[in-house]
Parts: sequence; C-alpha cells; structure tokens
Amino acid sequence: MLAYLIRRLLQGLFVLVAVIWFTFTLSYFQPLGAKAPAYFLCGTHQTAACINGYVQQYGLGKPYLVRFWDYLFGVAVHFNLGVSFKQTNTVSGLLGLYIPRTFWIAFFALLFASLIAVPLGIYQAWKRNSIFDYAATGATFILYSIPAFVLGFVLLDIFSYHLNVFPAQPPTDPNAWAIFQDPVGFVLPVATLTALSIAGMSRFMRSQVLDVLVQDYIRTARAKGCTSRQVLFRHTMRNALGPIVVIIGLSIPILLSGALIVEDLFNYQGLGYETIYASGLGDIYTVLGITIVVTIATVIGNLAADVALAVLNPRVRIEGASR
Amino acid sequence: MTPKLPRRRTPSPTDRAAIDAAAKRLELGSQPSSPGDDAQEVGTATDRALNPAVLVRPGSMRIDSEVVDPASPADPEGVGGEGSNEFAALSTSAQPVPLWRQMLEVYLQNKLAIASTFVLLVIVLGCFVGPHLYVTNQTNANSILGAVDNASPSAAHLLGTDNQGWDELGRIMYGGEYSLTLGFFAGLITIVIGTIYGMASGFFGGITDAVLMRIIDAALAIPYLFLLVALVSIFHNSTTFLLLVIGLTGWWGNSRIIRGDALAIRDLEYSLAATSMGATKAHVIRRHVFPNSISNVVTVGTFSIADAILALSALGFIGFGIQQPAVDWGTMMNFGTQELIENYWWEIYPVAVVFVVVILCINYIGDALRDVFEVRLRQR
Repeated sequence: MLAYLIRRLLQGLFVLVAVIWFTFTLSYFQPLGAKAPAYFLCGTHQTAACINGYVQQYGLGKPYLVRFWDYLFGVAVHFNLGVSFKQTNTVSGLLGLYIPRTFWIAFFALLFASLIAVPLGIYQAWKRNSIFDYAATGATFILYSIPAFVLGFVLLDIFSYHLNVFPAQPPTDPNAWAIFQDPVGFVLPVATLTALSIAGMSRFMRSQVLDVLVQDYIRTARAKGCTSRQVLFRHTMRNALGPIVVIIGLSIPILLSGALIVEDLFNYQGLGYETIYASGLGDIYTVLGITIVVTIATVIGNLAADVALAVLNPRVRIEGASR
Repeated sequence: MTPKLPRRRTPSPTDRAAIDAAAKRLELGSQPSSPGDDAQEVGTATDRALNPAVLVRPGSMRIDSEVVDPASPADPEGVGGEGSNEFAALSTSAQPVPLWRQMLEVYLQNKLAIASTFVLLVIVLGCFVGPHLYVTNQTNANSILGAVDNASPSAAHLLGTDNQGWDELGRIMYGGEYSLTLGFFAGLITIVIGTIYGMASGFFGGITDAVLMRIIDAALAIPYLFLLVALVSIFHNSTTFLLLVIGLTGWWGNSRIIRGDALAIRDLEYSLAATSMGATKAHVIRRHVFPNSISNVVTVGTFSIADAILALSALGFIGFGIQQPAVDWGTMMNFGTQELIENYWWEIYPVAVVFVVVILCINYIGDALRDVFEVRLRQR
C-alpha cells in the first residue's frame, strides 16, 4: 500500500513539474518574448534605461534554466505564480479571490450530478434493455453531445428570460460564500454544470453495474435464494460503488472546463471568467497561473481517486505493490 | 514480450508474402477447414495473384480476409456446419461476400446511422452548395452598411439578420464551411498524430512506452479548454492557428486508445510469428499491428472530428474564434447569446440546432462504425 502511494505521489509530482515547465516555457513565446513585462511597464517611453531597469528588477534577463528553477521553487514553496503586470497584483493574490468561487459551483455540481447519475446508472443497468433503459441511454447520449454553452443558453432563455424564475447571473459581490446566502442566483449555472456531468457519469455507472451483474457471486446470491432487493443492495451496489470515487476524480477536468464556459455565459467571476478576461487583456502570467492551478486540482483529484480506490479495493493495491 | 532476435537480412518480396500468409492464417484463428475448401480457395485467381505463397503451400487457405470471406466458402450452400454463421446467411448466392460488403450491410441495418449519415450529408451539402442557391454576401463588410440589424425572419431574409446586419441563414452556411472544414482537418490531424504516437508507444513498449505515456499523463492533466485559451492568448488566433492548435492538442486521448491496441496486437501469435520469421519491426507494424487496430483508428477518428468541432465552437463562444468577417458557429452563438435577452431567437436557435445535430450525427456514425468493425472481430 505504501509503495503504491509513493509511486502515485511521484507520478503526480512529475506531472506537476512537467506542466509548470510547459507553462513557464510558453511565456517565452508571447509577443516580445520573456522581456514583454518590461516593455509593458515602460509604456510609452520605452528607453533602453527604463527597460533594463525593469529587466533587472524582475530578473527577466537571467538565463532560462535559472529563471525556471526560481519559478518552480517559488510555486512549490510560496505558491508564488508570478506577477500579473496588467492587473497590478500578484497572480496568487488574484486567484485567491476566484478559486473559492469556482470551487463552490463545481462542488455543488459534482454533488448533485453524483446524487442523480449514480442511482440512474444503477437503475438503468438493473433494468437493462427495458424501455426505461433505452430512453435514459438515448437521453444521456444526446446530453453527452450537447456542449455546455448550448445547454446553458437554453436554460438561461427559458428560466430567466421567459419564465423569470431564476436570475440571469449569480450575485457579483466578491464574497466566496454567496452561494449559501443567495442560492437562487446559482441555480442556473450549477444546473448547467450538473447536467453536463450527469451524461458521462451515468454511462460509466451503468457499465460498471453491468460488469458486476455478470459476476459469479451475483449468480450465487440468486441461487441461494436472495430476493432481488437483497441482490441489488447487498451484492451489486457494494461492489459497484467503489468506482464512484474514480468518476468523481476524473470529472474534475470536465467540470473545470465546463465552469470556464458557464462562468462566461452567466457572468460569474470565477477562475474561468478570469482566464478569459486575463486572456483578453494579454495578461499571460495570470492565464498561465490559472492553468497551473486547474492542473493541480486535476492531479489532486486523480490522486485522491486512486488512493480511495486502493483503500476500498485490495486488488488494486496488491497489483500496484507487485509492479 | 517480443523475443530478441539477431538482426537478419531484409526479407525479399517472396519472404514477405510467406510471412504474411502464415501470419494471416494465425490471425484468422484456427477454424477447421475441410480439404474441399482448400481446393476451391486456392483456385481463385486473386489469391494466386496476390500471394505466391499459395502455390507453395496449398494448406494455407485463408490468405487475405480482404479478398476472401472465410465463412461462406466453408459452407457455400448455406446449409449449416462448421463454418456457418450469420454472415454466411447474409449471402444468398454461393459467391463469397467481400468483407466491405458485409460491413456495409451491417451499417445499412442500423437505421439511426443511415438517418445520421443522410442528415449530415444534407447539412454539409447545404453549407457548401447552399450559398450558391441562397445568395448572400458574407465577406464584404460594405454589404451590411445599409442593412437592418436584428431584422426578424422575412421573405428577404429567411432567418432574419444578426446584430450586425448579416443575413442569418447565409451566415449559418458560411460559418458551417469554417466549422466543418476546420473540424474535419483538425480531427484528421489528431487521429494521424495519435495513431503514430500510440503505435510507437505500444509497439516498442518498455522504457519508450513508459516515457511516452507519462508525457500523455501530464498533457491530459491540463483541463483542455484552459490549455486552448492559454495557447490562443499567447499566439495570434488566425484561422490556420486555430486549426493547428486544436489538431496538435487534441490527440492525447486518441494515442492512449491506439497504444492499448498496439500493445495487445504486438504480443499476439501472428505478430510473434512474423517476427520469428525475420520480419522487420516496420513490417510488423505496417502489415499486422496497424491493419488490426484500424477499427479503433476509424471510430476514434470519427469522434475526434466531433470533438474538434466542439473545441472550435467552445473557443468561438468565449470570443476566441475565427476573426471577422469570417465566422464559425461558436462565434455566431456568442453573438446570439448577447441578443438573447431581446428575444431575437433566430440569431441563436437555428445555428445551435444545426450545430448540435451535426455533433449528434457524427457521434451516431462513430457508434455505428464501431459495430461495423465488429464484423471483422466476429469472423475470427
């Protein structure tokens, strides 16, 4: 178990370092290259003295590897993602405002999606090849093909512009806890994100339960006279619920990408909105900082899923240890 | 694992044919065949032309699954027996049914797939031929100077005009040309790169595989849309750039799937047999690993096109799409959303419907293609 944990942790660390290296290198490709911030800060009087001053101040002229090491060290120790020159703040300072806001809508979307998709997937597999199964499979297939923005604007049009039951955008104050104080404003964005995740999750759950249902122990349970209720709750669900932690872990990148679209559509200032805003400003360092943050979220999600699965399922950790 | 063999001379064409014949025989499984079948099959002219090895070894019947259907000859009358299966029943005549015909028949039995193909064809034709029938100027900004913005549908503008005065129906067709073309070629790039990378990783295995797959792990850990926005904000988002950025970043998932195939096929008997007879690695990849993972290449490739269209539209929707006056469906929906509060439904619902229908159709076709390739698997 310990060997498995260490191996997974090292893999996660490698992924993070690789992504930080990638985003760091990307900043060299912006217009005017690595010294772009100096040109921006000097504004209209781009004298050599002014530019050199800023280059010295921020160490922009140092060799590539030295700068990369400094950056990596800064991210690892102080979570220092650099300076957002165009929004006159540190990137981590900016992100501190936006991370909780995105976290809460993603959290609730994940919660509701799991609460709906897991029973749906189990029921579909249990009643496989029934009319209900076909209808649900068809519906999730269509939902799976509908992108976030189409679903979002349809919900917006119906529930906000026509029926007038939910506001078109969540509260704009920077309070991270707004979702608890004014939940009505968050119904549409969270619903959009939830619907997005349901499609993939219920398909996954259905196939997981179908795999369990053909196992010998299910047949044994039936043979020894268990009622179908007992077979479902005692034998099938216990074995099929383990993979839920996997889907929750794997949903994180989908949720975050979905959040980017949803935040843009509903004007909700979270990570996604800030990405688009910073990108429009040409604030490369903020965009790259956010990319690192969402990657960390994904890596942690995957890691947590793997560890939880290893705790729940001895086969995983034994196989992992012997490798 | 592939056994380590001493390096040999490059096989001559005759060697290659013999290797292929032997490997194909293994590939097609060990269905017993009666001696009568051999006589019938060895006699076909195509076999002899394609495979000189047939003349040398009369026992090597099922030479090439592309040419000869192994099911029908075993039971030409369709009266049942060893080789009889549902595909033998498909052929009413004694002639062997070519593989592509069987595949086509499976495809045509899937009504949803036919409908999807038909609808997709109509939309594609509509986008590329439609502008010649319903003529609107979509490229010259002067043409919208006097136009009414946000005009509702009328005889002059069948779907009204958008918030800049462009004719909406013409705009859908014009945007479709960009979305479909870019999506198709970006999808093509992703599957080509994904196939090459995945094949290399799966086939060579060991440390190569470990390194290549860790790179994919890292790449997949970046949420895709954030990566696209980061790249687009650094590089100028020209049309070519959008094509390249989606094509060059969309293949990670594909390469994993193809790698799984290559890893499995590399260790199957027919690949080992070919290697043991001195086939080079390139030869084994070209003649055995690639042809046998073609089903995943095609189905994954189909889904990739849908994914590429989706990625392009997502970028367009958040404002990083194709630049004016050219347009793509995502950008159109972006503008449409801004006018939605005024209830200008014609600016967003028609384009959204066309867009979702295209994605649905491509996904259905991909699903149907997966079934079609099952034909090959069931033959073994």
